[in-house]
Amino acid sequence: MRVVIAEDSVLLREGIARLLRDAGCEIVAAVGDGPALVAAVAEHRPDIAIVDVRMPPSHRDEGLRAALEARRRVPGSPILILSQYVEERYAGELLQSGPGGTGYLLKERVADVGDFVDAVRRVAAGATVLDPEVVAQLMARRRHNDQFAALTTREREVLALMAEGRSNRAIGDALAIGDGAVEKHISNIFGKLGLAATEADHRRVLAVLAFLRS
Amino acid sequence: MLRSRPLSTIVSRTGLSARVRVLVSREVWLATAFLLLNALLGVFWFVALVTLISLGLGLAYTLIGLVILGLTMRFWMAGATLERRRAGLLLGTRIAPPYRALPERGILARALARAGDPATWRDLLYLVLLFPLGIGEGALVVVAWLLPLGGLLAPLWLPYGSAADTAQPSVVLASVAALPAALAGLALLLLLPRVLLAVARRHGALALALLGPTASRERTLAARVDELRASRSRLLDAALLERQRIERDLHDGAQQRLVAVAMGLGLARGKMQSDPAAAAALVIEAHEQTKLALRDIRDLVRGIHPAVLSDRGLDPAISALAGRCPIPVEVRVDLDHRPPEAVESTAYFVVAEALTNIAKHSAAAHAWIGVSCARGRLLLEIRDDGVGGAAPAAGGGLAGLADRVAALDGRLVVASPAGGPTIIRAELPCE
Repeated sequence: MRVVIAEDSVLLREGIARLLRDAGCEIVAAVGDGPALVAAVAEHRPDIAIVDVRMPPSHRDEGLRAALEARRRVPGSPILILSQYVEERYAGELLQSGPGGTGYLLKERVADVGDFVDAVRRVAAGATVLDPEVVAQLMARRRHNDQFAALTTREREVLALMAEGRSNRAIGDALAIGDGAVEKHISNIFGKLGLAATEADHRRVLAVLAFLRS
Repeated sequence: MLRSRPLSTIVSRTGLSARVRVLVSREVWLATAFLLLNALLGVFWFVALVTLISLGLGLAYTLIGLVILGLTMRFWMAGATLERRRAGLLLGTRIAPPYRALPERGILARALARAGDPATWRDLLYLVLLFPLGIGEGALVVVAWLLPLGGLLAPLWLPYGSAADTAQPSVVLASVAALPAALAGLALLLLLPRVLLAVARRHGALALALLGPTASRERTLAARVDELRASRSRLLDAALLERQRIERDLHDGAQQRLVAVAMGLGLARGKMQSDPAAAAALVIEAHEQTKLALRDIRDLVRGIHPAVLSDRGLDPAISALAGRCPIPVEVRVDLDHRPPEAVESTAYFVVAEALTNIAKHSAAAHAWIGVSCARGRLLLEIRDDGVGGAAPAAGGGLAGLADRVAALDGRLVVASPAGGPTIIRAELPCE
């Protein structure tokens, strides 16, 4: 897997690079600011770009803006945003920026190396992986929304795990239910959110998007 | 410097030598210049203002007329500013500018604010009054100087004047005959400073009354200064308390955890060879502690200043607050532009504190937050259906918020009757 890393802290940049090399990835570019990220994505067309939200010069959301710009230039580029804090608004902006694997994780999730590498692989494969913290914010906000009120508690749990980017099997394991039950819940969710039957992966993203937009 | 001395000390001096000294003193010459200028400027302003205002009013149904009126207003305000400086320079009467603060932006908004300020109209009144007063004062100065000088010099000019061809026997006699006139002239000359200075002082008092801040405005300002001084010192106290809280949180939270991590890793390092299993357990423990320390720091940082607020503004920041509140909160933010950062941050912390209170004390089932902007003010309302009884106790969160809001020239009102509901309204400038 070919990876571009954009992170202005050298310590973290090298740390993430080492961790991913150990996991068998190839780091094609490691850059420290937004424009360099856009250039690196355009040049290398990596399997995934891992981007810190805060980068010079203003240390606000340059990383996010640069990532959106990179995706505009190279449509479908998988992007994993790392941030010291997570806010659902950023998740929304990312997911609405077009197709392609999308991840949004707290930076400290890097500490759980196995989970982190797994998330990188899933985003590179086109999945949506949102930090549990974002999902919790979304759940808290949507409790009283009509559309989501129609979902059962179990369906909401399944939707939350889908937003975190878990596979059906992982969802089943987490909730201690079988594969069949998971699939049934998911199709109920699609039905209640009014999502027409299309390719399954895409529908999962749409469900999460509907979740964000409501 | 004599110039800066009050006129009264000079006028009240007695004794002939003192009077002569006064006569040639700077004050008298400055007063003379001041009063003569009054006549010239009085005529100038009268002509200029009558012309410009009639022109402006005549064209008032067109844009040009309004522009002329607006510019005329600026013109006479500039004239009044000049008059204030002139009174300070020539009379030693210092007059502070009386105007209210203007809005930061917008030509029209500033013009309207100027037109709404009584000080602007008192400026105009002064400049118009300068015409009759100036004419009178100018005439007085001319007479006051020429009459005594004419009398004093009578022995010199009387023999050659219009009386020369009458029946005066000689030039010497004629001069002697003019002596009473000379004495009268001398007396008048010694009286001159008193008169000129008294008139100038009266005029200075009038200028101060019309061009300076009014007494009621000064009282209001004095009260405001006291209020600001008090709220500033409370703010400083609050900032100190906040720093102490951050220090404590860091010390009790992240720092302790990191000490534990360092200790655990140190132990693990020693045991790596001898007892790998125990070392592995210690490393796992340290790993968990590190993650908890990171979470502590993240929570602390968000409490100091939420990054999403600077990046995306009030709507997402308040939504995020609402999302973390244990009871359902409805958020409605109607803003067409982003308020200044200080206003956003204050509004955010008002909401944060209010939601914390609601979650802790109100026993409410629902809360509503509304943010809107009207006539340059940001209006913030936080409402719940709880038990009420919230009061801004001194040193408490609500009182601190009231100070923060007051520091920005805003207002915070808490209505929380026993039995509920609680409504907190804040109003902040939002240009």
